[in-house]
Amino acid sequence: MDLNDKLISSFLAFESDVDVNTPIHEIRSEAIRNFEQKGFPTKKQEAWKYTSLGSLQKTDFSIFPKGGKTLEYKDIKQYFLYEIDTYKIVFIDGIYSSYLSETTHDGVDVCLMSAALTKPMYRQVIELYFNKIASREESLTNLNTAFSKEGAYIYIPKHKAPRKPIQILHLATGNEAALMLQPRNLIIVEDNAEVQIIERHQSLTNNEVFTNSVTEIFAAKDARVDYYKVQNDNASSTLIDNTYIDQKGNSNVSVHTFSLGGKLTRNNLNFYQKGERIDSTLKGVTILGEKQHVDHHTLVHHAQPNCESHQDYKGIFGERSTGVFNGKIIVDKIAQKTNAFQQNNNVLISDRATVNTKPQLEIFADDVKCSHGCTIGQLDDEAMFYLQTRGIPRKEAAALLMYAFANNVLESVRIPELKTRINKLIANKLGVSLGFEL
Amino acid sequence: MLEIKNLHANIENKKILKGINLTVNPGEVHAIMGPNGSGKSTLASVIAGREDFEIKKGSIFLEGEDLEELAPEERAHLGIFMSFQYPVEIPGVTVTNFLKTAINEGRKARGLEDMPANQMLKLIREKSEMLEIDRKFLSRSLNDGFSGGEKKRNEIFQMAMLEPKLAILDETDSGLDIDALRIVANGVNKLRNKDNAIVVITHYQRLLEYIVPDYVHVLFDGKIVKSGNKELALKLEEQGYDWIKQEEVV
Amino acid sequence: MAYTEEELKKELETKEYEYGFYTDIESDTLPKGLSEDIVIAISKKKDEPEWMTEWRLEAYRAWKAMDEPEWPNVTYNKPNFQDISYYSAPNKKPKYNSLDEVDPELLETFEKLGISLEEQKKLAGVAVDIVMDSVSVATTFKKTLAEKGIIFCSISEAIQEHPELVKKYIGSVVPRKDNFYAALNSAVFSDGSFCYIPKGVRCPMELSTYFRINQAGTGQFERTLVIADEGSYVSYLEGCTAPMRDENQLHAAVVELIALDSAEIKYSTVQNWYPGDKNGSGGVFNFVTKRGLCERNAKISWTQVETGSAITWKYPSCVLKGDNSIGEFYSIAVTNNHQQADTGTKMIHLGKNTKSTIISKGISAGKSQNSYRGLVQVNSRAKNARNFSQCDSLLMGNACGAHTFPYIEAKNKSAQIEHEATTSKIGEDQIFYCNQRGIDTEKAIALIVNGFSKEVLNKLPMEFAVEAQKLLEISLEGSVG
Repeated sequence: MDLNDKLISSFLAFESDVDVNTPIHEIRSEAIRNFEQKGFPTKKQEAWKYTSLGSLQKTDFSIFPKGGKTLEYKDIKQYFLYEIDTYKIVFIDGIYSSYLSETTHDGVDVCLMSAALTKPMYRQVIELYFNKIASREESLTNLNTAFSKEGAYIYIPKHKAPRKPIQILHLATGNEAALMLQPRNLIIVEDNAEVQIIERHQSLTNNEVFTNSVTEIFAAKDARVDYYKVQNDNASSTLIDNTYIDQKGNSNVSVHTFSLGGKLTRNNLNFYQKGERIDSTLKGVTILGEKQHVDHHTLVHHAQPNCESHQDYKGIFGERSTGVFNGKIIVDKIAQKTNAFQQNNNVLISDRATVNTKPQLEIFADDVKCSHGCTIGQLDDEAMFYLQTRGIPRKEAAALLMYAFANNVLESVRIPELKTRINKLIANKLGVSLGFEL
Repeated sequence: MLEIKNLHANIENKKILKGINLTVNPGEVHAIMGPNGSGKSTLASVIAGREDFEIKKGSIFLEGEDLEELAPEERAHLGIFMSFQYPVEIPGVTVTNFLKTAINEGRKARGLEDMPANQMLKLIREKSEMLEIDRKFLSRSLNDGFSGGEKKRNEIFQMAMLEPKLAILDETDSGLDIDALRIVANGVNKLRNKDNAIVVITHYQRLLEYIVPDYVHVLFDGKIVKSGNKELALKLEEQGYDWIKQEEVV
Repeated sequence: MAYTEEELKKELETKEYEYGFYTDIESDTLPKGLSEDIVIAISKKKDEPEWMTEWRLEAYRAWKAMDEPEWPNVTYNKPNFQDISYYSAPNKKPKYNSLDEVDPELLETFEKLGISLEEQKKLAGVAVDIVMDSVSVATTFKKTLAEKGIIFCSISEAIQEHPELVKKYIGSVVPRKDNFYAALNSAVFSDGSFCYIPKGVRCPMELSTYFRINQAGTGQFERTLVIADEGSYVSYLEGCTAPMRDENQLHAAVVELIALDSAEIKYSTVQNWYPGDKNGSGGVFNFVTKRGLCERNAKISWTQVETGSAITWKYPSCVLKGDNSIGEFYSIAVTNNHQQADTGTKMIHLGKNTKSTIISKGISAGKSQNSYRGLVQVNSRAKNARNFSQCDSLLMGNACGAHTFPYIEAKNKSAQIEHEATTSKIGEDQIFYCNQRGIDTEKAIALIVNGFSKEVLNKLPMEFAVEAQKLLEISLEGSVG
């Protein structure tokens, strides 16, 4: 049985485990029907032209992990941003780990999706927001919706800001030969509220892990959301990240994605602007080697006047890796005075690496400033030579230039400790240690 | 030549001009001075026919013809030229092509044939030499990537080519260093004659040292509050605009 | 001037004889619909050799198994392929007896384009009773060309006279199975042009006037094959610069260019087929496959000005197979009213040190949709490949759309690819500035649009550029209100 069939037939088993007499379950049932109809995306679909999920479907993933594994904090400390105090929502093989987590209900809710989906006190919020911005077309999002049960739930009321950033960490222990996870996150940031979130997926062994994650973010008027995705997983893991962001007037949301690890990563990052004077920022650094594959698929939909969006994705591709960037900007007829910028720069450092990029503009308003630029090139030979004549070895010189290349993406990281950490990860990835920090 | 009577103009319901009266005769140079926001540039735009402004009251005549119903290009065909404070960039259209179009459209309006190419070239050569303009400049895209000085010089060059009856120079001196200012002013002076008139709009007296006005008017809060000769400009330079404001308040 | 049917036929026979193009001028038309029998019948009517018939049949079989493409960013009612007549001796029957009967709007456009009265008659489909100047000009051309060994004739003639060349190259760049419309064209192509430039020969003239004659009467499924042998050069101009009121809704042409070692082909197109009326009814569907193959050191450059057709779907492409070969694409696409254009190029870098340049200018007005769709592909063997792409869109008014879909695929680390795209509008301040200098709004727009398109207009041969400029003006008339 391939994965597609297994998932569909597992839905019955899933139903025996959840309360089926809720509006949520109607949403789930509709979603599984949608998935059944569409199945896994194939390369024949325009949106999946450059990314194949074929081999994934042949793997026998366990869909309902056994759980029960415990972990010592000291063994996994390195995956946290431990340098600063944060709230933590930690999952081990998809199951909430209370002793590794630090949640709160003190003025803000930083807790679990499972609680939000089942407890009556959250019902109103769930009805208002759950699955309201996530796609009903995209088959993998439907798949996640069908099995949605656990994940992070974050609710920041008006004018509030949690005292510290929030980390969401998913750990896979290797307890299963092949594990499929489908976390579902819901993040609601009310008027003039603020939040900083760091999300990370990490498997601790080389057993295969396939994560199909969906995150819905609602940023109300004047809200500020700062979201960081650290993707530095083992070479046996696959991540499909579907993030949907609903922005209201004057809100400011930025998402940074650092893609360094993993076998196959697909980021579907969708911004829907639904008010005026909105600012959306999408930034990414991708550094790949071996046979890694990362596909960034972004959408910014400008539906109201006087809004801005800034996209800046940098990629460095070595060995036999593949990088894909497909960025789409839509400017509706009424979205006059839109400023939409998109930049995608790539460096190929191996003859067997591939870059496919497709920056896409769809403009229906005339008084707008939209531009996209895209380059594929190499490190500047002249600059390399210059550094070498100053005594910097070739490898370090290359690393330095690559650092410089990725620099402006890191600049907008607002948590200094995270910036330092990302720096170290990049240095590791490039196989050098530099005597400085960016 | 130009006669403005009790002119009131608004932009988006905000009153900018509140009763301007001005008469300019052939051969005269008038300077209009005033502090920022007094309505100087609005006056220039209204004369040229910019549609953002709404004329509430009063009228403008050029050689007896009421301008109210005329489109900007029709006013241009009658001989009004405005040198823009911020000349507009038109990428891909060379200075020469732009001028050719402008001149021939003007001729068409007067029922004339297009200017023969050789005559056009001769005219361009003559005027560009007069204004010390490099020939290479003429094949560049209009104002695209021009420095501030180049843009202003280009405006005066166009004025020379179009030979208007009435030239309005809107803050032509802003952003110019002393050499550029001298070149621009010399150009304007060479174009002065007994049949045309010039209205110089400026914040500072500096330009008036080079383009000497016959009359100086002070515009304040949408009205001409004081008129005099070039001495008035000097007084403004020395004492600023405050004393006028005070006089107004009193 | 009342003709009898018989007189007309006779006169046209003579006329076409003088053109020297059509050997078979039977007036019958094949029944509507498409089948193997029809394909065989077309081939028979054209007296084609067996290999050609077989070639068409294979294309037909491929076509039958294919689906009409859905991916272009255009919407239209799909043609009913069984409701089209695939063969009728083209255009020999005049539609009108005198210019008085022709749509005055069409004549006005001719007037603006500065087309001579005689030519106006011809283009509008009015019977002409004198031998036109251009025919004799064409004959002179043909002589000059023949002296250099250049073959320039209809593709039907080439199949008869130069079967070895046609056999070798037809379908070599655009295979029969390439796409739905290419397959259809391969099965039923009516006629088209064939051009062969021998080794080291520089074609002494732009092949343009000549083409215009050739064009009159070519049907919906046109086939063009241009072969530039080693070290040769040709500049080829395609297009009817007058808006022919074509009754054929569907046009599915195939153009194949072959530039052998060190050869250069410049292919310029001005397309202004009937775009439909202001309400979006009528108009030509233009689904074209154009592709060129560059061998070592060869260069192919496509320049196009597209202002016509209700729907345009076309991607003149270059396969840069040989080392050091160069591909260029310069395009202006104007859409107004309800027009839809999905156009761009593909640059396939296979050889080392290959270079490509893409400059695309899209102008959308009215309720039109204008899409740029392009592919730059650098394969792993294509060391030091270079590409520069620039796609600029100009929007006029708020009911139109501009879209860019650039695909960039690089598999070689020495590749250098740069892509830039911008969207802008004509500023009110720009228009006021022009107005102040005495230039009215309509003219100001023409001027600004010309400036915007300049990089591409500059690539057109002189006589074409002037017409292209006028076309831009005409097609944008009344677009600002």
